[in-house]
Amino acid sequence: MNTALPEDITEFAAVAAKRFARFGGPQAALRAETEEHLRDEARSALADLGAFDLDVRSSADDLLAAAVLCQAAGAAALPYPLAEEVLAIDGARLALVNPEAPRIDHGDLAGEWIAADLDGTRYHVQPSSRTSAKLGPFLVPATLTGPDGTVPAADVDTHLTLGSWRILGALQQALEITRQHVTTRMQFGKPLAEFQAVRFTIADASVAVRGLFELAKFTISRPESTAGQVRSADALVLRLKAADTARQVLRTAHQLLGALGFCDESDVSVLDRHTQPLIRLPVSSEMLALRLMPGVRGGQLETLFSEPVAAEPV
Amino acid sequence: MDYDLGADAVELRKRLRDLISTHIPEGFLGACTDDPKDLTTTESFCKLLASDGLLALAWPKEHGGGGGSIWQQTVLREEMWAHHEPRGAQYMGINWVGPALMRYGTAEQKTRHLSAIASGEVIWCQGFSEPEAGTDLASLRTRAVPDGDGWRVTGQKVWTSYAQMASWCVLAACTDPNAPKPKRLSLFLVPMDRPGITVRPIRSMLGPHHLNEVFLDGIEVFADEVLGEVGDGWRVMREALAFERVGIARYARCESLLDRMQTDLGDDWDRLPESIRARWVRALIDLRVARLLAYRAVSLQHDPSAGAAASAARIATTTCDQQVAELLFDVLGPSALDSGTSARLHGAVEDHWRYAQAATVASGTIEVQRMLVAREALGDHG
Repeated sequence: MNTALPEDITEFAAVAAKRFARFGGPQAALRAETEEHLRDEARSALADLGAFDLDVRSSADDLLAAAVLCQAAGAAALPYPLAEEVLAIDGARLALVNPEAPRIDHGDLAGEWIAADLDGTRYHVQPSSRTSAKLGPFLVPATLTGPDGTVPAADVDTHLTLGSWRILGALQQALEITRQHVTTRMQFGKPLAEFQAVRFTIADASVAVRGLFELAKFTISRPESTAGQVRSADALVLRLKAADTARQVLRTAHQLLGALGFCDESDVSVLDRHTQPLIRLPVSSEMLALRLMPGVRGGQLETLFSEPVAAEPV
Repeated sequence: MDYDLGADAVELRKRLRDLISTHIPEGFLGACTDDPKDLTTTESFCKLLASDGLLALAWPKEHGGGGGSIWQQTVLREEMWAHHEPRGAQYMGINWVGPALMRYGTAEQKTRHLSAIASGEVIWCQGFSEPEAGTDLASLRTRAVPDGDGWRVTGQKVWTSYAQMASWCVLAACTDPNAPKPKRLSLFLVPMDRPGITVRPIRSMLGPHHLNEVFLDGIEVFADEVLGEVGDGWRVMREALAFERVGIARYARCESLLDRMQTDLGDDWDRLPESIRARWVRALIDLRVARLLAYRAVSLQHDPSAGAAASAARIATTTCDQQVAELLFDVLGPSALDSGTSARLHGAVEDHWRYAQAATVASGTIEVQRMLVAREALGDHG
């Protein structure tokens, strides 16, 4: 067993983080809410890094590279639908939607879209325009027509997984900002970090983020031989844990940053607002839990004691 | 990056499950029960493991161990705890007394103790905690006063697990009250039948044998019973306990209990309230995370960040223990409080709930683990 990211992937992640910092990080994402050209520049940053040359469907190395790229994009709140574009089908970006209330993050960008729900049912999609929302400022309501066939279950799984890596990056960054704040912010004559309540809160958030990171690495590393239904359950598990962890860690960040954390001049505010679509969509974590319930008895939600699930016939 | 435990570890898991299903009676809930047969079961099972080199799997072969890989050791920890620790009271001797002897023991101490531990013939207890020194062990008050070539030890230990059944004790005592705190303590390897030692069991919700008081009334200890150097007990204790940094694989018992309960419920599982089934899903996810954090801590064992990684794993797994205890009680509803072999899963759920209350207290409280994680994240503020 080797639970560490490979060195070349770690280096790639560091290069990506630098490039996104050069783009302007979360404050550039904030400006992108009103300055249209910045999303084009975000795409250029991704293109510089070779994001759109990654073959996430057939290369495990490329998939891992895409994962850490999503993580770095999450940390920078990069205003671009990265996972949607690396999973494009016939040039059309792939959006995961809830057919009952279809919304697409960055759906107003030029270019074709197709949509799929969590069952893999494929739809034609007609995005409308942005609504100036505070939470998910690039979120666009859309109209679906169809259904029109299916997309592979593996695409849905990868979509959920890459989105979870993006949430992970946002949470790691939010925790780092919070860490820096409590070690420098003085109250009652000493740094916040000297108050035990603050230390314990940071410890709990740190354990939560560490746990999500380990789960994300495990999920992205599942071998080819893993049964498809198990991989699908794994992707749902990761997304559910990412959404739950996001609620805990972002709440911690807001609480410890105080009023500052609500201000857009704080990156925590931008990270929180821009990550909300991934945390809430295509369905709530309660709905994800519902989808996982049959996997408890069926063994798709693997444990140390579950019986192996047979690979389904191709 | 891969999460394959390796063929030898997978094979070991199968072998252990076979041994357990053959030699451990159905409904076995560990050695700490009112039924003396359970202790006998663990004694014979330990000898069986020892004969296969599995009892001291982590130990080098020269000391009677199995020379197993870290992932084989992980599997052993998981399977033993999942099946209610059929090694019984051997856990302490195998997991840290033995390794501490290998590092700090004299040749004579190694000869005397290591093969006995590796063969499952002796039970050890740990005389550390005192009424006024629990987490803050360096403040303990039991005094060792020089007497001839050795010492006379007087004091009181508390919470001492297995003290009634143990034949040996690693005893911590203050040998120099005027020394700086880290230099006050020494460790002694003392037989429990030494005159002046009195053990009093403490009735508790955890069950018998878990908690005892040990009174030391001027007991004689000898120079050749010191483990490590005189005055170096605090360092030896800290380093020895690091051998067991990752701690008990509590997640494995939880996963096993949920699996057994699901099998027991059969189709009734689908009729559980949706809120319970959602908690069940989340519990399985949290257990997976706890397991992965433990694997991370194991893989980092020689890294400077291993301490915080192990503390993170402990926080995750101990809170899962209590989460699963509450979940299973809510699954059972009115019959949750039933105990004994006629209860659901032979009383394993009720047993788990009681023992889970200690999960965030035993072997380093969750508060201490939080302090260690915070120290890595924030530095030494506070």
